[in-house]
Amino acid sequence: MPLFRVNLNKVWFRKIYGFNFAVNYHFKNKRMLSITNLHAQIGEKEILRGINLEVKAGEVHAIMGPNGSGKSTLASVLAGREDYEVTDGSVSFFGKDLLDLAPEERAAEGVFLAFQYPVEIPGVSTTNFMKSAVNEIRKYRGEDPLDAVQFLKMFKEKMAYVNIDQSLLSRSLNEGFSGGEKKRNEIFQMAVLAPKLAILDETDSGLDIDALRIVAEGVNKLKSPDNATIVVTHYQRLLDYIVPDYVHVLYKGRIVKSGTKELALELEEKGYDWIISALVD
Amino acid sequence: MATDTLVTISLPKEKQSSLDRFLAKGFPTNKWEEWKYTSLKSLNDIEWNWNTSEQSANSAALALENTVEIQTQNGKMTLKGTLPTGVEYLDFASFAAQKPEFMRTFNERNPILDQNSLYDLNDALASSHQVIWVKKGVKLDKPILHTYFASVSIASAIQIKLLIYLEEGSSLTWVDDLASSEDSKSILSNYVQEIWVSKNAHLTFVKTQDFGLSTTHVDHTFINQEDQSLVDMFTFSLNGGLIRNNLHFYVDGEQVVSNLNGLYVPGNNQLVDSHTVVDHRMPNSESNELYKGVLLGNSTGVFNGKIFVRPDAQKTNAFQSCKNVLASDKATMNTKPQLEIWADDVKCSHGTTTGQLSDEALFYMQSRGISQDAAKTLLMLAFVQQVIDKVEIPALKESISNRVVTKIQQALGV
Repeated sequence: MPLFRVNLNKVWFRKIYGFNFAVNYHFKNKRMLSITNLHAQIGEKEILRGINLEVKAGEVHAIMGPNGSGKSTLASVLAGREDYEVTDGSVSFFGKDLLDLAPEERAAEGVFLAFQYPVEIPGVSTTNFMKSAVNEIRKYRGEDPLDAVQFLKMFKEKMAYVNIDQSLLSRSLNEGFSGGEKKRNEIFQMAVLAPKLAILDETDSGLDIDALRIVAEGVNKLKSPDNATIVVTHYQRLLDYIVPDYVHVLYKGRIVKSGTKELALELEEKGYDWIISALVD
Repeated sequence: MATDTLVTISLPKEKQSSLDRFLAKGFPTNKWEEWKYTSLKSLNDIEWNWNTSEQSANSAALALENTVEIQTQNGKMTLKGTLPTGVEYLDFASFAAQKPEFMRTFNERNPILDQNSLYDLNDALASSHQVIWVKKGVKLDKPILHTYFASVSIASAIQIKLLIYLEEGSSLTWVDDLASSEDSKSILSNYVQEIWVSKNAHLTFVKTQDFGLSTTHVDHTFINQEDQSLVDMFTFSLNGGLIRNNLHFYVDGEQVVSNLNGLYVPGNNQLVDSHTVVDHRMPNSESNELYKGVLLGNSTGVFNGKIFVRPDAQKTNAFQSCKNVLASDKATMNTKPQLEIWADDVKCSHGTTTGQLSDEALFYMQSRGISQDAAKTLLMLAFVQQVIDKVEIPALKESISNRVVTKIQQALGV
């Protein structure tokens, strides 16, 4: 925690600059994402059937659940994938109606989705891809574009987070990358874009234990009191490395149980059946 | 009929017979198999001036450093500057008088396949018939730039013919910068190049076509290759009302390499038709064909790629690929690969694809903050870059790349 933030909360400071300023400046515990009664369908098939979730700055939430429960759908709907139609409910992000925004606007507002299956883009290097992304987001925010030197400096710094190699960043994005390289590249992109809300969709799938650790370490280094993370995962394994504050169990498009990290361990031990059978649906 | 005025023209005997052949057939229509998607029937409705003497000036011509330039303005060819030692620029009659033994070989060359009536029209009426002659062993380190520009105040047919002759062991880079003005009256630009690449010679030929909407451009490029010769051919069709390219390779030697690269980016109300032929007549040679197209607006594209492997052409490697992106629902692409193989010990492959930009890729890019239009531009550029990157003249590569980007951005309204 940087020193000046501590100072901001001091009483004398509040008295001089006003209470609201000090509180707003400090994101910790500020409501970031509110999902209310979210319903979404693909074609005629309803997949999300009333999701309610509150995420505050500084928190890590894990969304778990059996296959087909709607975990990835939730991640996709938040990022703005067009295949899904939202039929009811609302999603507010720092007070803005997230569902009203195009995917690129959501990104510019600070939402980031790490893909379960990162897409191969032949002919576009990660470096060029990220330069376009950063400068488009800066344009959206009314900031000047970064120049080549500033990019070089920033990329160098962010590469260290996931121990990624320059040569990988010069290659066509994700083309011919191994599973581990793809996921590290996702976290590199996350480091560059520094989102307020990162959604990791099954980031652990297809990773061996070493790659998993590198990816998780990257995510942990990026954690701050100002940002939040939603980890979507099928297995508890990833949560050994990215420790959640809250764990939610998704089943048939609804959150049927929420708890702390101990819930994940219980799921690992007993599976999902004990929760499902306890439901009076 | 527009061609009525041609009947009254009186020509020397040989040219007259070419003209008669044209008159018997007329302009190609889509009843002709080779012109199925590209009818020139509407040219009949225009009252053509067949022998324009109008002046034109090309202000936007490509600038390449340290190059000798040959200018063609409304069909009149002029040499600007001095050619390096060992290269001659002269009219066809003088050349034929100096090289009778070559002319015998040339005249006995394999018959032109798919010969069409516009070739005959050009033969009869070409206002210039010039020769670029690179002497034995002469290797030019700088390109020769041919800037071809047309702009007319009455509808005009502009026709020139060029012979490029590379003697044994020579090498030449030739840049064809073809253009016409956007506000010109109708132009029929009918351009024939006959190219002879002798043993061990190397030709790089980069053609850019950037015409106004009122221009119909028909290009005929015939290339004969002898033993161990190499040709890198590039055709960039950037703009024009209608562009038809006939590119024919006659592989008449062993260990010959023929590389055919093409890129077309037709926009609204534009059509680009690429008809290519690679005729493998001798063994142990190789051809690589890569054509890519981005079709914008309501444009139409045609690709017909023929590969012949004659019975003697054993151990031939012939590869063909044509990939297209339809950037709009209104764009059309017609592809037809045509392989005829008589030899049994050969490696040949062909593939054509026509698709749209992947929604998955677009969403991935958008999710990183890139707007949909910017993402489309980026994807299309990445798609065409493979062809542009093969051009080894940096200023030319940049010029082509910029023109493609501008065109794509304009089409997307970025």
